[in-house]
Formats: sequence, structure tokens, C-alpha cells
Amino acid sequence: MTLVNQISKVVKIYLTKHQEKMLDGEKGDAIAKLMQLIVKIGEVNKAEKLIPIKSAQIAGVSYFTVGDSIFSFFDLLLKDEVKVSVPSWLNPAGMDRNKWKAMKIDEKFAKKQFEIIQTYEKMGIETTLSCTPYLIGHQPSYGEHLAWSESSAVIMANGFFGARTNREGAPSSLAAAITGLTAYYGLHKKENRLPDVLIDVEAQIIHPSDFSALGYWFGEKFHGLIPFFSNIKNVTLDKTKMMASAMASVGSVAHFHIQNVTPDAKTINQKDVEEHIIFTENEKQEIYELYDSTEGEVDLVTVGCPHTSLSELVLIESYLKNQSLKEDVEFWVFSSNKVIQSKDASNTIENLESRGIKIFADTCMVVSPVVRNNFSNIMTNSAKAAFYLSRDEHIKVKLLQLEKIMERVIK
Amino acid sequence: MKKMKFRSIVDGKVEGEAIVSPNPISFFGEIDPQSGIVLDSKNPLYGKTIANKIFVFPGGRGSTVGSYVIYGLKKNQASPLALVTNKAETIVIAGAILAEITLVDQFEEDVTTIIKTGDTIQIDTEKQMLKIK
Repeated sequence: MTLVNQISKVVKIYLTKHQEKMLDGEKGDAIAKLMQLIVKIGEVNKAEKLIPIKSAQIAGVSYFTVGDSIFSFFDLLLKDEVKVSVPSWLNPAGMDRNKWKAMKIDEKFAKKQFEIIQTYEKMGIETTLSCTPYLIGHQPSYGEHLAWSESSAVIMANGFFGARTNREGAPSSLAAAITGLTAYYGLHKKENRLPDVLIDVEAQIIHPSDFSALGYWFGEKFHGLIPFFSNIKNVTLDKTKMMASAMASVGSVAHFHIQNVTPDAKTINQKDVEEHIIFTENEKQEIYELYDSTEGEVDLVTVGCPHTSLSELVLIESYLKNQSLKEDVEFWVFSSNKVIQSKDASNTIENLESRGIKIFADTCMVVSPVVRNNFSNIMTNSAKAAFYLSRDEHIKVKLLQLEKIMERVIK
Repeated sequence: MKKMKFRSIVDGKVEGEAIVSPNPISFFGEIDPQSGIVLDSKNPLYGKTIANKIFVFPGGRGSTVGSYVIYGLKKNQASPLALVTNKAETIVIAGAILAEITLVDQFEEDVTTIIKTGDTIQIDTEKQMLKIK
């Protein structure tokens, strides 16, 4: 059956003349197909038009998750030599580009992974291989429309930076990157960005893992809703990142507000939020207890979900107190290549490595097969990592504050 | 014979045998892209293939790279004839559009309880009709 017969002919969304030409195939088969994708998703979500985007963050990079299926799709795109039309960058891959052998990644996997990265690069996409573009020079501006896909990057772009993006899928973020367009619905519209629930934070929220626990709790209880958090003190980007990533992974939450902190929060009157809930010490402890399932010796300690910032690396260094790791401890930190390679990080990286900590870029404990295949008793400070790793039946996870983790692993 | 109305997302006219999953499907991890075989041991369809059948399921879930699995099924000649679901979400929509597989959703009742595995199904999106023979 031909393409024309398959995709419904009546377009229920407003398109400019130029967009119509793209859809009709005047710019090639690949562009036509990508436009069909964007238009159809728009129609299903009752969008009235398409809008231009400022940037795209593209998922579907790790060979562990995309498998060989991605190559057939690449064939379609490469035939027409398509290129991205807006600044675009990539999600983490399944391995560190430089240290894959040290990660015990096999040659076949590495070959496929490099092929995927190089194909994206050919399309003009920056190979950042990170879930934290905002830490490496790609901070979105307030009110900008984006097509980002990784769930923690999406929620940070919306909540912390006040930019506007839906949770794009792997193909739709790529389609948006190439066409420069996305459908105007969901979180692109101001009226859909208001809070659903006010969370009065009564518990002590100090450590990054406390923020993680708060995010986990909200995500589990209020799937898909938008919170307004009041009474949280000493909020930093790093801590917010831990909270946001937990909400996004556990509860598909894509936007949030923090009183006196996030840009959209200023425009909101707390009295307009109908539902009010208190988050107490009890709820916080429940989350920590949920992830206290390791039995016997921990075989991996891992930090860096989402990818660590430079200041988090410095924090790990300070908790080490010039000590080395106990000899039998395997400790893996994940970050972005840009943070690790930065001049300011060089002393810290050298120090951490000399004391036995392994630092990997370009990947993480969730999207690389290595962690699942080699470890079963894992300790982490990230509720998001705990959530994903423990879905594997053989893996037990302990969620703990970074400071306490460090106390346990040094000599 | 029962006739049902629906919303068409990717049009087509197909006839084939139904295979029905009571559970939502993550195409990533739960369907083998080479063969269409269901890999999820918790699914009653475990070990059976959706290739060349009309696949009926409540909805999609899981990683968005699932769309590429649907596309891969088509390229490996292991794709279902059509996707029939209660509510199509972005993963399934994107996959069906890329792979050009007929996709319909929004029935008046839960489609996974009305259609049974083994039923012969006829879909004609132009006539807005799904028939269980």
C-alpha cells in the first residue's frame, strides 16, 4: 500500500505554504515523513498550528536501548542527507567514548555505538551525550519553545528555566530538530503550565537526596500533575535537578514551581491552587526506607544521575577528606564529557581518580548495559537511578545521602 | 458479526487474525524487533508473535525508543498488519506513522475485552468500520 493511501489526507491543523510543501514531499521523502509525524501528533493532541523551536535535545542514542532498529530509520534519513535546522544535541550513549574498554563494553557493542553517534553527527547534531545540556553551555531562556526529550532535561527546562517543551519522544525530537518545528499543544501553552497541587514542605529538605526523596514522593502520588512547592530553603540548581529528575521518572511530571525560586512561580497566586498537601518527615523517611533493600556487601556505589556538575564533583572531593576508598569498593561517577574535560575540573578529577574513584563520561548507570550486567547490590544518592535500576529483578538498591555514602566508603 | 466505530490515525484496509494483549505494551524491551515475539514473561502472549496479525492492546508505555522498534519490525518483515488500541500515545503513533502500519483507537468500549485472540478482524478506515467476523 502506498504512503499516500496510508496517511490520512485531510490535515486538521493550520500549516503555512512552506510547511505544506514539506508535508507534500517537495523537500524529499525524509522531510515528508518527519512532517507527517509532527502533524499527526499535533492533530491527536488538538494543536491548531506548528511553532518554530529554538533547540532540540535528542533521545535514542544508547545502542542498549535503540538496538538495530535505529539503523533502518537512519537509512531513510541518510538517503536524503537531512541536516538539523536548529541547535541540537544528544542524550547519553551506552558507553564512555574513550573509556569503553575499561567499562568492559565488548567490541561489537562499541562499533554499533560509534556508528549511531557518527550518524547523528553527520546530521549536524552536537554529540554532547548528556542529560544535562543546561550545565554545559545550553541553558534555555525564559519563554523559549524547545523540543527536548530526556525526561529530567525536559522538566528542568520547564520548571527551573521557564522555557517551554513537551516530553518529546526519540523520533519526534529528531523530527523537530530537522524541521525546526513542533506542534503547539501541552506545555507550550501558558494555560497548561499552572500548578495542580500546592505542597507545603514541612520536612527538613537539606541534602540533594532529600530533594530526590521529595520528588519521588510527589511523582508517585501525583502522576503527571504540576506541583507548587512552598517553604523549601537553600534551593540550588544541583538540588533541584535531583528533585526534578525523580518526579519525571517516577511520575512523568514535566513541570514544577518552587516558591520564590522558579521563574513561573512569581506569576502564580497560591490561593488559586485548590489542593494543598503537607510533606512531613514521615513521607521523606518512607522514600528512604523504600530503597533500603541491599543485602550483604554493596558491590557498586554510583553517583551522577543526572550527570554531575563540577560543583558536585568538588563536593565528592570534599567528603573524601583526603582519604582513599576502601580497597574493595567499586565507585563510579557519571558526568558529561564537557564537565570532565573543563580546565576547572582537572585537579578535582585527578584527585578523585588517584583515590580510586572511576569517572565516566557520555553514559550513565541507567542507559549503559554494564551496570545491570555486572552488579546487583547498588548504593546511590539518586532516586531516579534507584527507581530505574530496581526495576531489574536481580538488583537491590540503597538510597542514601552523598555525605553518608562517602563516610561508608573511605578508609 | 460485530461492527465497531473508532478514530483512524494511520489509514488502511486490512483483514487478519487478532492477537490480544490484556497488558499495556512497551515495544522497547517487550517485543523482539527481529521476530515480533512477545518477550515479557508477565504477558499471557509471552513467546507468541504479533507479526502478520492484527495486534490489539490497551495502550503503549515505556521508553520512546519503542517507536524505532515498531519501525524495525516493518523493516524485518515482522510487523503486525494493524495496531488496534484503546488510546494511542506518542510512542505508538510515531512508530505507526514511520512504519506505515494502520493504527486505530478510541472505541466506545474496551477493545481488548471485545476482541479475542484468534478472531478474524476486518478494518476499513475509509468506511470507519471494524468488523469481527
